[in-house]
Amino acid sequence: MDQIKEIFVRKDLCMGCHSCELACAVAHSASKNIYEAMGEHPMPKSRVYVETVSASVPVPILCRHCEDAPCMHACIAGAIHRTADQAVVTDADKCIGCWTCVMVCPYGVIGRHLEARKAYRCDRCQDRDQPACVSACPTKALVYQTVTDFSKDLRRKAAEELSRGEGR
Amino acid sequence: MAANQTYVIIGASAAGLSAACAIVKTEPEAKVTVLSEETDSPYFRPMIPFIISGEKSPADVAMTGQGPYQAKGIDLRLNTRVVSLDTHSNQVKTKSGDTVLFDRLLIASGSSPYIPRDIEGTGIKGVYALRTLAQARDAAQRSSSARHAILLGGGLLNLKAAFALLEKKVAVTLVVYSPEILSQLMEPDDAVMIRQALEHAGLKIMTGRSAKTIVQGPNGVKAVILDNGVDIPCDMVFIGKGVRPCVDFLKSSDMEIDQGVVVDPYTRTSRENIFAAGDVAVTFDPVTGNRVVTGLWTNAAEMGLCAGKNMAGDPTAYAGTFGVMNATQVAGLPFVSMGQVHPGSGDYEVHRNVSGNAYRKLVFSKEGKHLVGLVMVGDITHAGLYRYIMREQRDIRRVKEKIIGQTLTSAHLMYG
Ligand SMILES: Cc1cc2nc3c(=O)[nH]c(=O)nc-3n(C[C@H](O)[C@H](O)[C@H](O)COP(=O)(O)OP(=O)(O)OC[C@H]3O[C@@H](n4cnc5c(N)ncnc54)[C@H](O)[C@@H]3O)c2cc1C
Repeated sequence: MDQIKEIFVRKDLCMGCHSCELACAVAHSASKNIYEAMGEHPMPKSRVYVETVSASVPVPILCRHCEDAPCMHACIAGAIHRTADQAVVTDADKCIGCWTCVMVCPYGVIGRHLEARKAYRCDRCQDRDQPACVSACPTKALVYQTVTDFSKDLRRKAAEELSRGEGR
Repeated sequence: MAANQTYVIIGASAAGLSAACAIVKTEPEAKVTVLSEETDSPYFRPMIPFIISGEKSPADVAMTGQGPYQAKGIDLRLNTRVVSLDTHSNQVKTKSGDTVLFDRLLIASGSSPYIPRDIEGTGIKGVYALRTLAQARDAAQRSSSARHAILLGGGLLNLKAAFALLEKKVAVTLVVYSPEILSQLMEPDDAVMIRQALEHAGLKIMTGRSAKTIVQGPNGVKAVILDNGVDIPCDMVFIGKGVRPCVDFLKSSDMEIDQGVVVDPYTRTSRENIFAAGDVAVTFDPVTGNRVVTGLWTNAAEMGLCAGKNMAGDPTAYAGTFGVMNATQVAGLPFVSMGQVHPGSGDYEVHRNVSGNAYRKLVFSKEGKHLVGLVMVGDITHAGLYRYIMREQRDIRRVKEKIIGQTLTSAHLMYG
């Protein structure tokens, strides 16, 4: 079986430019155009969040599409399901805005459209080849890969650093 | 591994179907039979108020094929009530006299509404203790021509019913015995904003009062007489006084019952091949370790999932649940309540914070090392983070200021 691609974060590379947030909001707008998106109601929202850790280290946080996703099991409306390519998605039509998913998400990455009373989160951009946040990231802090490729890359990078005497 | 086992599940709701799906996923060839006394196909029980209001149809709230309930090939038998369990011959008997044999059994019979004995007339037509789709359909019909409903109890169930009735232009009076609404979920001071919003939305709320008698007229209920003798006319009554586990059919078996069915952390009863999950099961609070019997969809679904895995030979410990763990939005106000929400004057460090349209109460353990309870009203941002911290009993001293200042994100927990 083909491995599913996921969005991975290489947090050392994030510069905190917030390009991912902007690209995400635009990708989830009605117009898909940055200038028009800014005038839309409700305001298009990003599903990726660049947070800062101690000493102002930026790090993007987004839905991990958990195995046995707590949000999916907790949903009292059956509005959250897993797609064939393993993304956990919220169906806005079924969502009743009870926020049970928000209460059980340990990553705090489920957002709330207060006006529309709908929960929203990363859907890995179902209609794009590559998620918008990944395409927008100038430093490749966000990558879209299979687990195998991602860990291979990590190992290769570690080996290179070691051979250059930069091992941490 | 358990190959070609016959699995039988009593109850086709959150716990039962979560388990059934987990069994099929772990063991695709398994024979899984689910017995339900209801005549309706499985549905999302918490959604039934929308049937009363007319905002959803029964098809909209069906479970099969929705959310995580995707498994195929489950043998679902509706209108099949189990009347007894024989743990020696591994069989259950149904009301119609059939015998169903099992290798492994899950008791997921849920709970049913508690009806106080000291209220007279609870059997009259038009009196509801809302639990099933069938009742919701009936209430939907009656509410179409009703003018006034009296709701006994100030819990979440009645608040949801109240808004469904308001949607149908039925006036609603909430009669609450406690000094304040939502007394199971918060302390009176925590509920101030919610009460104001409810009254603003048109609910009439009487606290410190209870019903004595429900009075019958030619078309079912016609009035409620309160404990102070006041007689209020109405055409519908809803009883929302909590639930009790459905264990009556286990009385003659040797299952250990302590309100609900007692299980170990692997959801197993005292019998090796019999499991229990959901409202009917006794689970435990992850912080105090105390036994809890609860009425939560979240608990039922997660515990059912665990039970299914355990039954199919994939040992999975259940992490337990807070007896209180609710999120909802009423009258435009979202709120979350979880864990130790009644610190009273006990040995806790409590922080209360009001700002703009939001109220927050944080309950820390005495030595300030753990977060043990939380009420958020108006703004519930990152509620799940706090639940995680509470459930895992993380030492929060390093991030305590961030919790109090509402600046904590998962980045702090993962990388901080
Ligand atoms: C209106 C409403 C709103 C709610 N809102 C929320 C909410 O927002 N959040 C939340 O966490 N919880 C909520 N709940 C509670 C939630 O619905 C329950 O906790 C949950 O349904 C429990 O699931 P369960 O599978 O354990 O049992 P149940 O849902 O009770 O299902 C058990 C099933 O077993 C059947 N059964 C019982 N005995 C037998 C027998 N002997 N033979 C055959 N079948 C039997 C029953 O008929 C029933 O169909 C709400 C409940 C209601 C009624």
